[in-house]
Amino acid sequence: MFKRGNRVEVFQASTDEAWEPYMNDFIGVHGVVTDPDTSINDPDDLIEVSLQGKGTHRLPQDCLRILSDTR
Amino acid sequence: MAKDTCPVQSTLQYLSDRIASGVLTDPKVRRICESIRMLVEEISLGEAGDSHMAAIDDLMAEFENRTPDDTATKTLDHLKHILSDRREEFVSHIETRNCPSHDCGVIAPSPCQMACPAGIDVPTYLALIAEGKDDQAIAVIREDNPLPWVCGLVCTRPCEMMCVRGRIDTPISIKFLKAFAAERALSDRRYTNPEPAPPNGKRICVVGAGPGGLSCAYYLALMGYKVEVIESLPFAGGMLMVGIPRYRLPREVIDREVAMIEDLGVTFSFNTRFGSDVTYEDMKTKGTDAFFLAIGAHKAWDLGIKGETDFPRVIDAITFLKNVAIGDRHAPGKHVVVIGGGNVAIDAARTSLRLGAEKVTIAYRRSREQMPADIEEVEQAEEEGIAFAFLTIPTEITGNDGRITGLACIKAELIAKKGTDRLAPVPILGKEFTIQADAVISAIGQYVDDSGMTAFNAVNWTRRGTIEVNHASMETSMPGVFAAGDAVSGPATVIEAIGGGKRAAEAIHRQLTGMPQPRMPKIPVRRRKVPMIEMTAAEKMRLSRPVMPMLNVDRRRTTFQQVELGYDEAAVRKEARRCLRCDVCRRCGKCVEVCRDKMGIDALHLGYLDFDHPVKTDFRMTAENCITCGACAANCENNAMTLEEKDGRRMLKLCGTILNEQEIQTCDACGARLPSAQYMAFISDKTADLTQKAEQRLLCNDCQRRLSAKNHVPTRPVNPT
Repeated sequence: MFKRGNRVEVFQASTDEAWEPYMNDFIGVHGVVTDPDTSINDPDDLIEVSLQGKGTHRLPQDCLRILSDTR
Repeated sequence: MAKDTCPVQSTLQYLSDRIASGVLTDPKVRRICESIRMLVEEISLGEAGDSHMAAIDDLMAEFENRTPDDTATKTLDHLKHILSDRREEFVSHIETRNCPSHDCGVIAPSPCQMACPAGIDVPTYLALIAEGKDDQAIAVIREDNPLPWVCGLVCTRPCEMMCVRGRIDTPISIKFLKAFAAERALSDRRYTNPEPAPPNGKRICVVGAGPGGLSCAYYLALMGYKVEVIESLPFAGGMLMVGIPRYRLPREVIDREVAMIEDLGVTFSFNTRFGSDVTYEDMKTKGTDAFFLAIGAHKAWDLGIKGETDFPRVIDAITFLKNVAIGDRHAPGKHVVVIGGGNVAIDAARTSLRLGAEKVTIAYRRSREQMPADIEEVEQAEEEGIAFAFLTIPTEITGNDGRITGLACIKAELIAKKGTDRLAPVPILGKEFTIQADAVISAIGQYVDDSGMTAFNAVNWTRRGTIEVNHASMETSMPGVFAAGDAVSGPATVIEAIGGGKRAAEAIHRQLTGMPQPRMPKIPVRRRKVPMIEMTAAEKMRLSRPVMPMLNVDRRRTTFQQVELGYDEAAVRKEARRCLRCDVCRRCGKCVEVCRDKMGIDALHLGYLDFDHPVKTDFRMTAENCITCGACAANCENNAMTLEEKDGRRMLKLCGTILNEQEIQTCDACGARLPSAQYMAFISDKTADLTQKAEQRLLCNDCQRRLSAKNHVPTRPVNPT
């Protein structure tokens, strides 16, 4: 489960319908979770991640892995 | 132009200068140049799509047919030349999204700005606040966010999550500084709207007056569009008004900022439901050119447990908060249980308490550690006396004669499901218990209410029940219909809705003016470059994040007065000075590498430069070993590290922070200015076997050479004169 402040890496493309072609640019980029699913902790929800040099985007969780927790 | 200069960056600079200087007096030429500039900027930021070069070519063709004066002709010739000679480099920027010369990276924004879904230029407005220029700070913020005061009070502040200062001690209190600046600028009557473009005759219908709708309406109005906002509630604000309690966000704050948007000519139709009170056909008949849907996510999920529909005092948090916002001041019950763990659950609980509930308990099925609500909100709720029941799964609402008597629950434990490390709450058999309650509020999430959207039958919906859009343009699958906010993202943040609204406004403008849409959402752009603030390393390290003064707890438990009272002015100015100015220092680490590896000095202890593994930082330690050689400054591509001479002192500064200062020496023999004594000693040590030491004297290179030559007369070269 992702939490605010988790350092994450976009380690793969997602198969989710929310994955758009431009998101392929994000693979390998590190970032910080800025807004996880704030209501029901649904693993299917999109979560907001600020990616280094790429801005802030809402991504499917299956493309992310946690690097470390700074919370 | 030199071959090693990036043509994309230089064209961007050239066009910016031409436009800013006002030499392009012909309106059409100016418009063409502005359009080309926008496309070139997207190329430099890696946001351009396949059609960008074709669009530039079309604009250039238009330009060739319009050269009213010499200035325009010169501009055209310059652009033709560079676009022809260096075309492959423009194409390379688009295809590889890489600038080989790194020139385009220089304009990359800071991490806090990148983290902001609206892309606000944080370092710039913090620097302005530090200098007391609150009105200018607000002007900068409103280039990306029309609701700075609102966000200053309720933003989830992703910027602070990415704040580089947080790698040293604590993040800058960005949110509260914004609130202060907005309040002060309003108080000084210097919070003003920018001048809108002349009316362009086009009409846009915005459905929903929440943060997304307000943002879109504001930016469209500035571009000259006639905007009509349709809102089913009796006021503007959407979730700001009915979802966020007044003790966090006073109504006056929303009203003042909405009034500013109204002043731009945006019209609001309140108590008007789209689809029934006004229809798609009505708006099309009026000549509406595009629609923007910002209908939010106002429907609550059901709990799905026994007894949920049997008692009138089972209510969802959204309806409860909305009723209170509209004016209901009755306590939901004496013993209230709120089910959920997000910010909405906390808001419902704290509101119940303020309405007079004797005991309020939040029941959450996971642990405190996994609670998604903001930590500050949870702590404030605890201070006010809200109880928490963690690892608690509700199973049934019990009662009789229509009155609730309790919430039956079962204790849970967190267990990883097979094949995953994700912990899920699992009931522990035999650990049933009941929480006494006479009112139950569910706060387990919301979804989008699609009633009234039937006319938009070509709009696709996702499997999550949200409107499907292309996130680069916020355009739906129905031509001319755009959407953003919670209706697209699901229940999310105010700032995300604002950012989406701004993006949609730009996309609507592009569509209606025949411009291609970007390939990906725009990376934020820096709005200004303001001077850095000089201060000592000791002061920079000593400054600390101020503590927020709070309303006393008794009043918090009984009234809806604002809980966070705001910083005083002195605290605000100091806190703004704590900013590291990451818009200037890109944290490439070259300065540290040069100092440590090339010079062998290792004076710079800037552990915060490493994103993944930050270690200790202390600006004060630089002075211990630094010889002010200037190697770090010479290798800094962004001029973040500088070596300056002032009042007989030579200072090494990092974004204005004086890391070291040493007295400027002069040559004992000729009086020429010399490097610092430490640097001279360093060079002397390095060259001791080549040249004779100057003993106790400080000499410049020339005098040193002369002295050395005098002592080696037999080897002195013959002067051919």
